[in-house]
Amino acid sequence: MTLDIVRVDRVRAYPPRVTAFTQRFWDSVAQGRLETTVCEDCGKLSFPPKTFCPHCWSTRTRWTGLSGHGRLYAQTMIHAAPAIFRDEAPYRVGIVDLQEGLRIATRLLSDEAPKLDTPVEIVTLLYTDGPLFAARPNG
Amino acid sequence: MTEAVAILGTAALPVGKWQTAPGVVPAVLEHEVLAKLVMEAMADAGVDKSDIGSMIFSLARPYTQQKYFATFMANYLRLPCAGSVAEIMGNGMTAALAFQGAVDEIRLGKAKVALALGVNFETATSSADHMMSSMRTTGDVDFHVPFGFTPISWYAMDAARYIHEFNSSREELATVAVKNRAHAVLNPIAQYRKPITLEQVLAQAPIVEPLGLYEVPGRADGAVCIVLASEDVARATGRPYARLRGQSFFHEGAHQINEVPNDMIALIAAQTAGRAAFAQAGITPADIDVAELYAPCTIVEVLASEAFGLVPRGQGARQCAEGQTSLGGRIPICTSGGLQSRGHPAYVTPFYSFVEIADQLRGRAGARQVEGARLGMTSAELGNYNAAMVHILEAVQ
Repeated sequence: MTLDIVRVDRVRAYPPRVTAFTQRFWDSVAQGRLETTVCEDCGKLSFPPKTFCPHCWSTRTRWTGLSGHGRLYAQTMIHAAPAIFRDEAPYRVGIVDLQEGLRIATRLLSDEAPKLDTPVEIVTLLYTDGPLFAARPNG
Repeated sequence: MTEAVAILGTAALPVGKWQTAPGVVPAVLEHEVLAKLVMEAMADAGVDKSDIGSMIFSLARPYTQQKYFATFMANYLRLPCAGSVAEIMGNGMTAALAFQGAVDEIRLGKAKVALALGVNFETATSSADHMMSSMRTTGDVDFHVPFGFTPISWYAMDAARYIHEFNSSREELATVAVKNRAHAVLNPIAQYRKPITLEQVLAQAPIVEPLGLYEVPGRADGAVCIVLASEDVARATGRPYARLRGQSFFHEGAHQINEVPNDMIALIAAQTAGRAAFAQAGITPADIDVAELYAPCTIVEVLASEAFGLVPRGQGARQCAEGQTSLGGRIPICTSGGLQSRGHPAYVTPFYSFVEIADQLRGRAGARQVEGARLGMTSAELGNYNAAMVHILEAVQ
């Protein structure tokens, strides 16, 4: 499954720190793939990706791809923003339940407030200095 | 529980803007403010300085210049302690953890009298700058913060979900702000005391949709000292006191959101901690006469009151609109004015909740007095109520 790539002509306001482990996640996002880790012992997914399984504390995890499709669980428009995000305000964020049974929080690309439980898809946001991702209403 | 513990004395700074910017003369400084409250709280308690064995402080904000504040205060007060002198930190739960720390000092026999105290000074720093720090407290710095989440944005999403699931409305939720302001009008230490109408609440600028300025907490400075004592010491004073009857804590092992989709607005931690505290106290939620809940936004008071069983699930906003949670109603909630109107100096906010409940249970809440209040509860939280701490207190006259 590949994510649509949306180019954003600016740098990220507050870039994530990238470790030797999470580099694969962000490199994949930049290439239009949403990935996380799954436990080889209990089979459960986790997000963000981890070197261990937070459910059973097994240290046997591997990378796996996610569909990038889910439903919008909650959303808000942020008007009062921290100094570093002020020039982007107001901006919309949301909580998305992915098809695979993972809950994530991310930027939401939508002018109007989408109805909750509406289908959304994850897209790659390719800023000039690196990637983030976002959700947007699907169809 | 082992040794019974009582709140015997309290003193609190009126919530508001007190902190002075660096270089301003005269400066208002944390240690002078707090020392004055220690004197007042000790006079209220009627015990002697030499009885104090422990001081448990809430951590001060990073804007407080005096570091190692607890040991500095031990010197400033010239107070030798055989129990503990420590500073506690736990997000919005900080002051509840400090209170519990002082309780535990007494329960463990380390002190007969312990102070739970602290100061939160922050208003000399602008909100936009303050949020540069606070945005990193309520979420994952690498997987949430880059999207621009702010502390109250999580509560706003609770509100969106609540409206969606229970056919509620912003108007209904906003009645909580009106109710809390009406309570604050009667509270001399509240930050915002001018009455407001529902229309005024709805007309405010949006902060995090659907919540506007009056539906979220302002920023504030505050300071509190609470004198806790073993019940034998409390009884010997001959003064009224509030006895701790139940206490519980639960962390659901998630921060802001659960990576496994769950019912986010059920506030599982509050439900769990509430049940345990009620069981320990041997009561049910219906027995509570007055509740001082930690609820930064209107929606949070609704969700917490439902999670603790004070109102039925999905009915919290409606019952507030009906006046059931107002003074004079079935179960008065946040008679102090709550975090929106009494004010929210975050690291000491739960201390103010204990002050209000102690005033109610000692019959000294003035125009806010809940007639015949015998059982009161407080709550504190961190994250999006990912953890909850509950205390149940009982009047002993």
